[in-house]
Amino acid sequence: MRKPPSIALLSVALLGLFGFSSMSSSEPPPPSGASSPSSSDLIKTPVTRIFPGDVDLAPKVKSPVADDAAAAERGRKYFANFNCVGCHADNGGGGMGPALSNRSFIYGGSAENIYLTISQGRPNGMPAWGAILPSNVIWDLAAYVQSISKAPETQWGKTTSLDALKIEQVPAEFKATPDPWQFTEPFTDGQKPNGE
Amino acid sequence: MGVRGWVTALDEKDGSTVWRAYSTGPDKDVLIGEDFKPFYDSLKGKDLGVSTWPAEHWLNGGGTVWGWISYDPQLNLIYYGTANPGPWNSNQRPGDNLWTTTIFARDADTGAAKWGYQINPHDLWDYDEINENVLLDLDIDGQARKVLVHIGRNGHMYVVDRKTGEVLSAEPYDTVTSIKTIDLKTGRPVLDESKHPDLEKVIRDVCPASPGAKDWQPTAWSPRTKLLYVPHQHLCMNYKTSEVGYIAGTPFVGATVDMYAGPGGYRGEFTAWDVANKKKAWSIAENFPVWSGTLVTAGDVAFYGTMDRWFKAVDAKSGKLLWKFHAGSGIIGQPVTYEGSDGRQYIAILSGVGGWSGAVANAEIDPRVRNGALGFTGATQDLPTYTKGGSELLVFAIPKDAAVQAQTSP
Repeated sequence: MRKPPSIALLSVALLGLFGFSSMSSSEPPPPSGASSPSSSDLIKTPVTRIFPGDVDLAPKVKSPVADDAAAAERGRKYFANFNCVGCHADNGGGGMGPALSNRSFIYGGSAENIYLTISQGRPNGMPAWGAILPSNVIWDLAAYVQSISKAPETQWGKTTSLDALKIEQVPAEFKATPDPWQFTEPFTDGQKPNGE
Repeated sequence: MGVRGWVTALDEKDGSTVWRAYSTGPDKDVLIGEDFKPFYDSLKGKDLGVSTWPAEHWLNGGGTVWGWISYDPQLNLIYYGTANPGPWNSNQRPGDNLWTTTIFARDADTGAAKWGYQINPHDLWDYDEINENVLLDLDIDGQARKVLVHIGRNGHMYVVDRKTGEVLSAEPYDTVTSIKTIDLKTGRPVLDESKHPDLEKVIRDVCPASPGAKDWQPTAWSPRTKLLYVPHQHLCMNYKTSEVGYIAGTPFVGATVDMYAGPGGYRGEFTAWDVANKKKAWSIAENFPVWSGTLVTAGDVAFYGTMDRWFKAVDAKSGKLLWKFHAGSGIIGQPVTYEGSDGRQYIAILSGVGGWSGAVANAEIDPRVRNGALGFTGATQDLPTYTKGGSELLVFAIPKDAAVQAQTSP
């Protein structure tokens, strides 16, 4: 049986496949007009706002693609290319991996939190992509994940009643978009989707 | 996940490997040798587990063995089915992709293949054929036959001569649009070509959906009624393929799937199938896929559970509902019956929904995104309004005295 490729080989293969030019430095240059936060700042990003004492722990870092409207669309393609879609499903509906479509994030929902989750990996199956993907790709993925998470309502806790489910997204086979919550239709209770 | 399936025999005393048979690759790995006598010509040839794939693709082509193994002690043969080829996007793997979605008969002592029969050459829809093979001795068309009944994911009830691998009949037992018929001369399905999943094209109304007309949930055979009791789903789907790269440790799929209720709007069925006469005896439509196993007793009572929490007993001859019990969670377990130390008969079942069909109710999955859980969310998106996950063992005693049965709650 063929052995799985080593991380380094896989990295080269992926970069070759998707056309990144530089492999000599571990941090390819960020998109023009933005600077990547330092690793030491990034690692201090809090995953919660519940702290003892009166402290201000607002993140000191900002996604270099925070103001880049095209980042989420690039992230959508990476989400498919790196098989994120295999576990988290189209539009992040969830499957083997948790849903990313509902504003609920165990490890924090800011772009910085999501960057760290992708980069470091998380328990129960989330691989650590930091050694494999360039940081600008991870920032684009974080922008996409934030974009698809914007479900129309937020609520405390989680309850389900018979009439709780009123809408569903236009399914991904009909609509490829980094912003699927902009395209919804009435909930169909397991029947055929309404259409295009 | 881009794996390579196999089945292994272990020495029960020390756990050492006696033999291992891969589902893809060269004949020596698949344990295909002199004894291999497949019935159909398309299955004869050298190293078909290599030549029916693009170069090297058999190394991660799937064909896992995650279902049931049957044993015939007279013939000393084991029977099992292999799963689908990977990835789901069939455009990336031209060829028949042997020996995926294949029933194998193997010598139990050596693993040597006696015959093989591929159910879905070049599978298009994730119709993996790991479902159980029920070994029956039946009179068919006036002849005593040793048969194997395979309840196909692809919606057909295969009756196969278990000595030779010849398909005697293959009738649809649920709505099928993806396959026109099974050609008994070649053993191959005749596909509806208008539904071919060209890359990036949305194919609509593919029935059965990817979990098949029936998935892993086992049937039960009654030698009294001569009926096979089949718990199954009734789902169709939209399906769109896309290019996918193999990355070790990540899913290898390349398909956007969206399942929904089949014609009639219901999603599951409990069917009594008359094997010898190749037709349905009766069936009960259920709102959700019937994802539980089933049990039939010598008292002619059949038991099954539903995803919306009902455990049901029906008359095995007519399908008439005799009794039902509302469990704490949906039922996808397998009912058993036994005689207790007190001499009474008991029926036991686990409740606790989950699995592919029920993940939307017990895992972090969004019911509003139809393509979740490889498209199963679309078909069971309202399940969270009926049940959550659970873990409950229910045991029911059969009343001692039939006369007091009506007054006794189980």
